[in-house]
Amino acid sequence: MSAVLRTVNRVLIGLVGLVLLLLGGSVLAVGLGLKPPSWWIHDGRHDVLLSHAERTRWRGDGWWWPTVIAVLAVLVLLALWWLTAVLRRRRLAEVLVDTGDGEGALLRGRALEGVLAGEAGELDGVAQAHAHLTGSRTAPESRVQLLLEPHVDPGAALHHLTTRALLHARNSAGLAALPAEVRLKGAKHRAERVS
Amino acid sequence: MSEPQGSEGTTQRLPVMEKTPGGEVDYGPPPPPAGEDGREGRFWSARRVPAGIVALLLLAVAGLFLYDIASVRADRPAMSWRRELARQLAERPLDDTWVLVGAGVVAVLGLWLIVLAATPGLRAVLTMRRTDADVRAGLYREAAALVLRDRAMEVSGVQSVRVRMRRTRADVAAVSHFRELDDVRADLDSTLAEAITGLGLARPPALSVHVRRPGRKG
Repeated sequence: MSAVLRTVNRVLIGLVGLVLLLLGGSVLAVGLGLKPPSWWIHDGRHDVLLSHAERTRWRGDGWWWPTVIAVLAVLVLLALWWLTAVLRRRRLAEVLVDTGDGEGALLRGRALEGVLAGEAGELDGVAQAHAHLTGSRTAPESRVQLLLEPHVDPGAALHHLTTRALLHARNSAGLAALPAEVRLKGAKHRAERVS
Repeated sequence: MSEPQGSEGTTQRLPVMEKTPGGEVDYGPPPPPAGEDGREGRFWSARRVPAGIVALLLLAVAGLFLYDIASVRADRPAMSWRRELARQLAERPLDDTWVLVGAGVVAVLGLWLIVLAATPGLRAVLTMRRTDADVRAGLYREAAALVLRDRAMEVSGVQSVRVRMRRTRADVAAVSHFRELDDVRADLDSTLAEAITGLGLARPPALSVHVRRPGRKG
């Protein structure tokens, strides 16, 4: 979901950017004296942005207003959907545990998050851990944040997380895979002289 | 499928634990960083904030126009801003200063959005080497700098260290108050090279070490 949203965000931002760039760039270019091609809406630097005639060109036609309103309505709906998709923080409510006997059990997402964060927090050199589940309930994904203590090597901490906390969480929920995205931060502290 | 249950209900499902022997086979694979493929992509930001702002503005502008056009269709007078906008659009020539400034701003804004859409962002996160196919990890640059600083402080003769971590290079500036500078530098080089390996990054940064005496020129 997050990967899809990322792509959607980037494509839409890019599209809006392209439209703005073309609009601004073309007005700027013609306004600064560049000769526009004959079919272009502006025919010289003394032309106006949008003349009365251009604006009311199709006003008499029956299709004009319905089309304008339809396009605007689609834009409004699209923007609304986009905004809600961006604002919604997806959190997995429950994970489907395959018990192997044709039945299933539901594990609360928060419980698994708590266990994962708790176990990660107890690892050597980890001061604090946060876990967050996303994805679907049959294929959950996790996002983990670790706050590292000074003495541990980040590579080693990641290895411990992978081979213990993440593996335990995966096995205890009976999942085939538990993809994880891990971010490691350092706990701020003053430099201590050891000589 | 059962109803959503509290944690009590789920802990009762002990049979699940019997699957772990099956999963035990998986316990072996993850080896310590072997680093067969160093090519690991960057983290790509979801661009939530710009997306939210653009969506909000788009919604506001389209909504306003939709409302006003619909109300004009319903035989109400247009809002004054729309008449004013139409008048300005029809009167201002393209070489008007304000039109040019506006066009420039719009073009720059568009360019910036395109850059936002096309670049990964998250410059503060360094990608770590993948030790497990399912685990993608990133180390904050600040954290990497802290680790390098702590390791450098352990070298004897080092009084203080400043580490500047960039995306491809770690600049270490140390002040040494005793021992030969060359010895300190050699120690720092080996200690920090080890520390950089310990960071477990997909692209280990290059190392540059400067050592000088306190209060005097190097």
